[in-house]
Amino acid sequence: MTAYAWLLVALPLAGAAVLLLGGKRTNAWGHLLGTAMSLGSFGVGVATLIEMLAKTAEERETIIHLWDWIVVGTFHVPVALQLDQLSISFVLLITGVGSLIHIYSIGYMAHDENRRKFFAYLNLFIAAMLVLVLANNYMLLYVGWEGVGLASYLLIGFWIHKPSAATAAKKAFVVNRVGDVGLSLAVMLMFTAFGTVTFGEVNAAAESASTQTATWIGLALLLAACGKSAQFPLQSWLLDAMEGPTPVSALIHAATMVTAGVYLIARSHAIYDIAPIAQTAVIVIGGITLIMGAIIGTAKDDIKKGLAGSTMSQIGYMILGVGLGPVGYVFALFHLITHGFFKAGMFLGAGSVMHGMHDDVNMRHYGNLRTAMKITYATFGMGFLAIIGIPPFAGFWSKDEIIRAAFSHSPLTGIVTLIGAGITAFYMTRMMAMTFFGTARWQDDVHPHESPKSMTIPMMILSIGSAFGGMLLLFVANIESWLEPVVGFEHAHGGPDSSVLIPVTLTIVAIGAMMGWVQYAKREVPLLAPTDVSIFTKAARADLYGDTFNEAVFMRPGQYLTRSLVYVDNKVVDGVVNGTAGLVGVVAAQLRRTQTGFVRSYALVMVLGVVVIGAIAAIVGMA
Amino acid sequence: MSSALIADITAPSVNYYMLAPILIVLGGAVLSVLVEAFYPRESRRSAQIALVLTTLVVAFLAVLNIKVDAILGFTIVNSLAIDGVSVFLQGLIILSALVGALLISENRIDPLGDAFAAQSSALPGSEDELAFTERGWYQTEIWSLFLFSVGGMLIFPIANDLLTLFVALEVMSLPLYLLVGMARRRRLLSQEAALKYFVLGAFSSAFMLYGSALVYGFANSVELGDIAKALSASAANSNLMLVGGIFILIGLLFKVGAAPFHQWTPDVYQGAPTAITAFMSAGTKVAAFGALLRVFYVALSGLAWDLSAVLWAIAIITMLVGTIIGVAQSDIKRMLAYSSIAHAGFLLLGVIAQSKAALDGSLFYLAGYAFTSLGAFAVVSLVRDASGEANHLGQWAGLGKRSPVIASVFTLFLLALAGIPLTSGFVGKFAVFAAAYEKGLAPLVVVAVIASAIAGFFYVRVIVLMFFTDASGDEVSVVVPSFATAAAITITAVVTIVLGVIPQPVFDLLSNALFLK
Amino acid sequence: MELNNFILLSAILFSIGAVGVLVRRNAIVVFMSVEMMLNAANLAFVTFAKANGSIDGQVIAFFVMVVAAAEVVVGLSIIVSIFRTRRTASIDEASLLKF
Repeated sequence: MTAYAWLLVALPLAGAAVLLLGGKRTNAWGHLLGTAMSLGSFGVGVATLIEMLAKTAEERETIIHLWDWIVVGTFHVPVALQLDQLSISFVLLITGVGSLIHIYSIGYMAHDENRRKFFAYLNLFIAAMLVLVLANNYMLLYVGWEGVGLASYLLIGFWIHKPSAATAAKKAFVVNRVGDVGLSLAVMLMFTAFGTVTFGEVNAAAESASTQTATWIGLALLLAACGKSAQFPLQSWLLDAMEGPTPVSALIHAATMVTAGVYLIARSHAIYDIAPIAQTAVIVIGGITLIMGAIIGTAKDDIKKGLAGSTMSQIGYMILGVGLGPVGYVFALFHLITHGFFKAGMFLGAGSVMHGMHDDVNMRHYGNLRTAMKITYATFGMGFLAIIGIPPFAGFWSKDEIIRAAFSHSPLTGIVTLIGAGITAFYMTRMMAMTFFGTARWQDDVHPHESPKSMTIPMMILSIGSAFGGMLLLFVANIESWLEPVVGFEHAHGGPDSSVLIPVTLTIVAIGAMMGWVQYAKREVPLLAPTDVSIFTKAARADLYGDTFNEAVFMRPGQYLTRSLVYVDNKVVDGVVNGTAGLVGVVAAQLRRTQTGFVRSYALVMVLGVVVIGAIAAIVGMA
Repeated sequence: MSSALIADITAPSVNYYMLAPILIVLGGAVLSVLVEAFYPRESRRSAQIALVLTTLVVAFLAVLNIKVDAILGFTIVNSLAIDGVSVFLQGLIILSALVGALLISENRIDPLGDAFAAQSSALPGSEDELAFTERGWYQTEIWSLFLFSVGGMLIFPIANDLLTLFVALEVMSLPLYLLVGMARRRRLLSQEAALKYFVLGAFSSAFMLYGSALVYGFANSVELGDIAKALSASAANSNLMLVGGIFILIGLLFKVGAAPFHQWTPDVYQGAPTAITAFMSAGTKVAAFGALLRVFYVALSGLAWDLSAVLWAIAIITMLVGTIIGVAQSDIKRMLAYSSIAHAGFLLLGVIAQSKAALDGSLFYLAGYAFTSLGAFAVVSLVRDASGEANHLGQWAGLGKRSPVIASVFTLFLLALAGIPLTSGFVGKFAVFAAAYEKGLAPLVVVAVIASAIAGFFYVRVIVLMFFTDASGDEVSVVVPSFATAAAITITAVVTIVLGVIPQPVFDLLSNALFLK
Repeated sequence: MELNNFILLSAILFSIGAVGVLVRRNAIVVFMSVEMMLNAANLAFVTFAKANGSIDGQVIAFFVMVVAAAEVVVGLSIIVSIFRTRRTASIDEASLLKF
C-alpha cells in the first residue's frame, strides 16, 4: 500500500476538482462524494500504517519519489512524499478527524445552498494539509502551506455575504502573509547555507552548520509558525476566523491547520537542537500565547470565540513543548493529537448547541441545556474533562508530560504551564456551566433540541477519543518510542518528581474549576455582560488589545505614510498592507516622477545612461 | 572597386528547411498584403484571420521539422544560426504570436468592433471616423503588419551577424510602431505611445548600428563568431571594440526594457491597444532576450570581464526601478509594464551568469513569462466600463465578487508573475537565480530576492483589491469575450500551471539547446 | 587621405544627431536627427571597409539605406497622423502618458 500513498493526496484532490468543475450537476451527490474521498484517504492511511507497523523502527521511513519538480544544475527539488512515524500520525489525524467532520457537515450544512462548494473546499483543504505533512522537502511543504492557507481563507469567508466574514477572511489572509515571509526566508536561508531543502539532507547538514545560521533559520521558521498557528504576535486572526462555519472551526482552526506550526518546528528539530537562542524564543512565544489565549478564553461570551482562545492557549502548550528540545517534541506532538480529538469534539458540540439555539453563539442565552441536549452534553463533557486534564482522560496524560518537561527546563516555564492549567480549568468550567448548567436563559422563540444522527455520531466517536485516546497512545501505542526515531526523545531530568507534580497540578486544576463553578453555576448569570468590570476583564474581552497593538504598530504608521503620498491614489492603497511597504511607497512616489512623459527627457536619460556606462567600463578597464 | 573582388562573389548556399519558418511567415505576410489589395472588404477580415492562423500553424510545423530532423547549422553565408536555442525561441515566438493573434482577432468585447480604429488615417472623433465605424469597417492592414513583425521576431534571435541583427530589429519594430498607434479608443494616448516608441526605438537602433560599425572596424567582420575570434586574438583592450560593444548592448537592452533604457515601456504598454501590448510583452521580450543572449554568449564573451560591472549595475537598477516604481502605479497596464521591466532585470542575471544552467533557466523563464504576460493582458482587456477598458486599479475593487472566475484567473497570473510555487514564474525565477548563485553572483541574487519581495507586494495588492475590497460603485463589468479570447486565456492559464507543476519536460527539451559558435 | 578623419567626422555627425534628438522640439527635426545618426554609422561602415580592404562595409551601407527609407515611411506616417489630431508637430505636446 505504501507505493500507493500518493492516493492519500490524490483522492481528496480529485474530489475537490470534480465538485468545483462539475458545477451544479454535482449538487445532489457532491457531499457524499466529498465524504467518500476523505474516508478513502483515511483507508489508505490505515493500510499504510499497518504496513509500517510490520517493519522495524529503522525501516519505517519511506520516501516515495513521484517526479522531479525542479532540476537546475546541482539543485534538485523532487515531488516526493515522506512516510514515517510523524507524517503517518498526522495523516491519520487529518483524515480521521477530517472524515468525521465531513459526515457531521452533511447534517450541519444540509440547508445551505452552497453545500457542494463547502465540501469541495473541505476536500481541497484535506489534500493541501496532506501535502504539507507528507512533503519530504521544505519547498513542497511550502506548497501545502499556501494551499491550506487558501482553503482556510475560502472557508472563513464562506458566508461572504456577511461583512464580518469577509473582513475576517481578509485579516487571516494578510496576517498569514506575514508568517509566510518567514517560511520563504527560511527556505532561502537553507538553500544558501546547505544547498538543499530536503528534510533529510537539511537535518544532516544542520549538524555541522554554524549556530548563527541555525539561529536565523530557526527564527524565520518560528515566524512562519506564529502566523499559521496563531501565536503571539500574529494571533489576532484566529478569533475572527470563527466567522466561518463551525465544522471549519473544528477541523481547520482547532484540530489540524493551526497545528502546522508545531509540525514545522518538530520537523526542523535538528536546526533547533543547535540553536539555543531560537529554542528560547520558541519557548517564550509559546508561554506568552499559552497565558494570553487562556485569559482571552475567560472573558468571551461567544462560545466559539471562547474555544478559539482555548485553542490558542493549547497550541501555546505545544509550541512551548517543541521549544524544550528532545524532552518535549514527543509530548508536544502527543498533546497535538489528543487536542485534535477533544477540541474538534467540543467545537462540534458547540456547533450542535448553535444548531439547536437558532445559531445564537452567546452563552448568556444558554443555560441548563443538559436536559434538552443529552448527547451533546455528554460528549462535550468528555472533551471538557480531557482539556482540563482530569485523569484518565486524554488531555491529562499529554498535558502532564509537557508540564513535567517544562519544569525540567526551568522552574519559570514550569510555573507558566501550571498557571495556564489553572486558568484553563476556570474558563472551561465557566463555559460548561453557562451552557449546560444553571437556569435556562433561552430567548423566547428558541426551542433547543438534539441534533440529527449525522452530527451526533461524529461527536460520540470524538468523545471516545477524548476519553481513551491518551491512554491508548501512551500505553498501547507507546508514542515515545514510536516517534523517537523521527524527532528524538530524552527523558526529562531534574525538576519535581511526578509523584509531587501530579497532585499539585490536579489541585490547581480543581481550584480553577471550583472558582468557575461557584461563579457561573451557583450564581445567576446576567443576560447582558456586566460593564462595571475590572480593567483586566475589559482587556481580556478586547482580546488583550491584540488588534489595537496591530493597529498601532503596523497600520497607523502605514496610514500616516500613505497620506503623505500625494501621488498614490488613496482608493488603491490598503492601509495594513501598505504599512509594511511605506518606505518603498515614498521612494516610489519620488522615483515615478522621473517618468516625466516627455520623450526628449527619456532620450536624455538614455544618453546619460550611455555616458555612465561608458564611464564605468572605462574605470573598470583602467583598474 | 576592383574587379577581383566582384569575381569572388559566389551564390550563397541556402538551406530552405532551416529558413522555412521565416519564409512561411514572411510569405504569409506578403499574401496578406495581396488579400488587402484584392479581397472584397466584407469578407476581408475573416480571410485575413484565416490566413494568419494558417501561416502560424504551418510555420510551427516547420519549426518542429527542424527540431525533429535536427537540421542545425549556419545558413546564407553564416548570417543565420539554426541551433537548439533558435528552434526553442522560434517555436516559442510562433506560439506567442498564435495566442496574440487570437487576442487581436477579438471583436466581441467592444460594441463598436475590434480594438483597432476603423480607419486609422481618419481623425479621432471626426465625422469620417463615425461614418467608418457605423459601417462596421475593420482596419485589416493590422494583420499584414502583425505577420511582418512576427517574421522580424523569428529572425532577430537567430541572427548571426550584426547586419542581420539590425535588419531583423527594424523588421520586427517598424510594424509594431504602427500597431501601437491604432487603438480604437483613447487614440490620443495611442498615437502618443506610437510616437514615443518610434522616436526612442529609432534613437536606440541608431546607437546599435553605430556600435556595429565600430565593431566592424575592430574585427573586420560583422559575424558574431569572427568578432569573438578577433576579441580573443587581440591582446590589448580595444576602445573601439568596447565602445562598439556597449552601443550594441544598448540597442538590445532598449528592446528588452532594461533601465535606464526602459522609460518607453510603461508609456507604450499603457497607450497601445491591449491585444498589441500583450503580443509585444511576450514576443518582443522573447526575441530581444534571445538576441541579447546570443550576442553576449557568442560574440562578446571575451568582453565579459570588462562589461561585468556595467551589466551588474544595469541588472540591479532594472530590478529596483521595475519593482519600486511599480509599487506606486495606479493603472493596471502601467503596473504590468513595470513588472515586465522587473522581469527583464531578473532575466539579466541569466545573461550575466553565462553558463548552461543559466541559459536553460533564462529560456524557461522566457517561456513562462511569455504566456503569463499574454494571459494577464488578455484579462485586462475584458474589464471594461462604458468608455472602454477600466484600467484604473480602483475600478478593479470587488471584482472577485462579481466575476470570481476572471478574478481567480487573473490571480493565477499575478501569482505567477510574483513567482509563487506551482506556477511557471516560480520555476523560472528559481532556475535563473540558482544558476546565478552557482556562478558566484550571490549579491545580485540577494538584490533579486529583495526586488521579488517588493514586487510581490504590488501583485498581492491587486489580489487584495479584487477579493477583499468593496466595489467603488463605478459601472465596471467583465465582458464575456468571444471564443478566441476565451481560448487564449485558457491556454495561457493552463501553460502557466503546467510549467509550474511539471517543468521537467521543458528542461529536457532544453538539455541540448546550445548556441552554435 | 587620413582615414581617421573620416571616423572623426562620423563621430561628430553622430553626436550632432544625438544632441539634435535631445534639444529639438519639432518631431520632423528630431526624426531627421535620427537619420543623421544612421548616416554617420554608414560613413563609419564605408570608411572601415576602405581601411580594412573588405567589401562588407559598403554592402551594409546599402542595406542601412533601405532600412532607413522604410523607417522614414513609418515615422512620417506616425508624425503626420499625430499632427492631424493635435495640429502640432511638437513632441513635447505629446506628454499625456507619464508617471
